[in-house]
Amino acid sequence: MIKEYQGNDMIVAENVDKYYPNGCHALKTVSATIHRAEVVVVVGPSGSGKSTFLRTLNQLETVSSGNITIDGTPMYAKETDINQLREEVGMVFQGFNLFPHMSVLENVMLAPLKVSKRTKREVEDHARALLKKVGLESRIENFPSQLSGGQMQRVAIARALAMKPNIMLFDEPTSALDPEMVGEVLDVMKSLANDGMTMVVVTHEMGFAREVADRVLFMEEGELLVNEKPDVFFDNPPHPRLEKFLSQVL
Amino acid sequence: MEKTPNKLFWHGALLAVLLSIAYSIVLASQSIEYTWRWERIVPYLINTEPKAEYAPFDGVATLSADSSTVIVEPENGDMPQSYDSFTEIMVGDGDLVFEGDVIGSKSDWRLGPILNGLIVTLQISLVSLVFAVLIGLFVGLARISSNPLLKHLSLLYVEVIRGTPLLVQIFIFYFFIGTVLDLDRFTAGAAALSVFAAAYVAEIIRSGIQSIPAGQMEAARSLGMNYVQAMVYIILPQAFKRTLPPMAGQFINLIKDSSLVSVISITDLTKAGREVVSGTFAPFEVWFTVALLYLVLTGALSWLVKLLERRMASSD
Ligand SMILES: Nc1ncnc2c1ncn2[C@@H]1O[C@H](COP(=O)(O)OP(=O)(O)OP(=O)(O)O)[C@@H](O)[C@H]1O
Ligand SMILES: [Mg+2]
Repeated sequence: MIKEYQGNDMIVAENVDKYYPNGCHALKTVSATIHRAEVVVVVGPSGSGKSTFLRTLNQLETVSSGNITIDGTPMYAKETDINQLREEVGMVFQGFNLFPHMSVLENVMLAPLKVSKRTKREVEDHARALLKKVGLESRIENFPSQLSGGQMQRVAIARALAMKPNIMLFDEPTSALDPEMVGEVLDVMKSLANDGMTMVVVTHEMGFAREVADRVLFMEEGELLVNEKPDVFFDNPPHPRLEKFLSQVL
Repeated sequence: MEKTPNKLFWHGALLAVLLSIAYSIVLASQSIEYTWRWERIVPYLINTEPKAEYAPFDGVATLSADSSTVIVEPENGDMPQSYDSFTEIMVGDGDLVFEGDVIGSKSDWRLGPILNGLIVTLQISLVSLVFAVLIGLFVGLARISSNPLLKHLSLLYVEVIRGTPLLVQIFIFYFFIGTVLDLDRFTAGAAALSVFAAAYVAEIIRSGIQSIPAGQMEAARSLGMNYVQAMVYIILPQAFKRTLPPMAGQFINLIKDSSLVSVISITDLTKAGREVVSGTFAPFEVWFTVALLYLVLTGALSWLVKLLERRMASSD
């Protein structure tokens, strides 16, 4: 565990720039602060840098310049162990990325068993409780290939929660799902938000943003253009580019 | 409706083709006036020559009433010794025997040179297989490493080994490396085979790892696993499953390639075959037998791999 952090700022990104090796300037001086128990939704057109921004928050991408502080720990400080920091930050991917060679229960139990120093007994009880919470207690012996997309994504959420993170990142968690399965995943995310989890969600589900988000960010061409409460964001868009974007997606 | 082939007919056709091949072999050997003497091969597979029993000291032999046991009583009054379960007794009751005389022979069996060669082939293949996998895993991981030194060294290794003939490598290992490091034949041969097969195993492992979607590594790392943990628990088990079929092919090649170590006088199956040919003058029988034994080894290996594949298919 990282030292106990009592402050209110869970994620602080300061002047983050990201250039990919091919020269693509994916993030342009992005700064944002996300508070404890806040649900922040990120929207924007394809290629605007939403995924890149999300992936810098658990260092799946390193920044080219700027600073990120997670849960009170500066990510790029010399003494910071990135693996320890990542235990604090769960991530859910568009393509689920479940481990296909393991059963549902093993998927959820693997990281806590191998990474955190917890007993097998405790990890298994926790995993079963989480799978029950996402409504999959009857599928624990199944392999991912035997599940529907919605079920796989719920397992992926349980797997991330098994590390007891303080922050959850979601990168288009429902974009790969058939429409009838979107609801079951969004419901799990809503209940997580109600439990007070700090969440950053990249999504095209504007309904979810309006209903659940505390703030909505709008990105375009690597810039963070709008950072507003949902009512202002949707009803009084403060930026002409956002207005244009909303008119296209709503 | 799709036409389903008539099973019985095609099985019959297969049998007919095989029989005609066998018949043409017979015809061919008749045309060169070759007499098949399969019975000559048998002693070279299993040697059933009786084992002789020798008198341990000078003395007098006594036969028991039913002539099944020979008791040799030493002249110097020491304890008499008795011998039994002979197939043939070579002394009479009351005969004088001297140390080293044959008193009888017992039935016995030993592995003949061909089966001993088979064992050597099996040993050298197994040893090389284990080391090929270990070296190949290391080289394969080095090939995809971000460290330029490891990357280029492993690439060079693969190119050099795949670009030179195995036979030449065996000679280099035996005459150069073997002399410098004072290796025996077997070690030099096994080392050459391991190093050779490892280059191919490395490429199989590299492509296996690269065939695993990047999201697997990302998911593992996002859960706080370090690179090694992610490799060991997530990437390698999946890559292993995908590499099983090409790996099986490589292992079969390894068994067959092991026949080349006979050039540095390791008495493997092939070398044993050559020796037996000069002893029996039955070259056709010997080489057919040797081929069959190689086929047994490679067949058993493919069967094992199939079994493993089936067991690992549970998550599909
Ligand atoms: N690994 C990479 N290498 C080079 N360029 C990349 C890489 N990943 C993303 N990019 C580029 O960076 C920019 C931002 O990409 P990003 O994936 O963050 O966008 P996004 O907002 O998530 O888009 P989408 O809605 O399509 O997922 C794009 O122009 C993309 O082409
Ligand atoms: Mg994206």
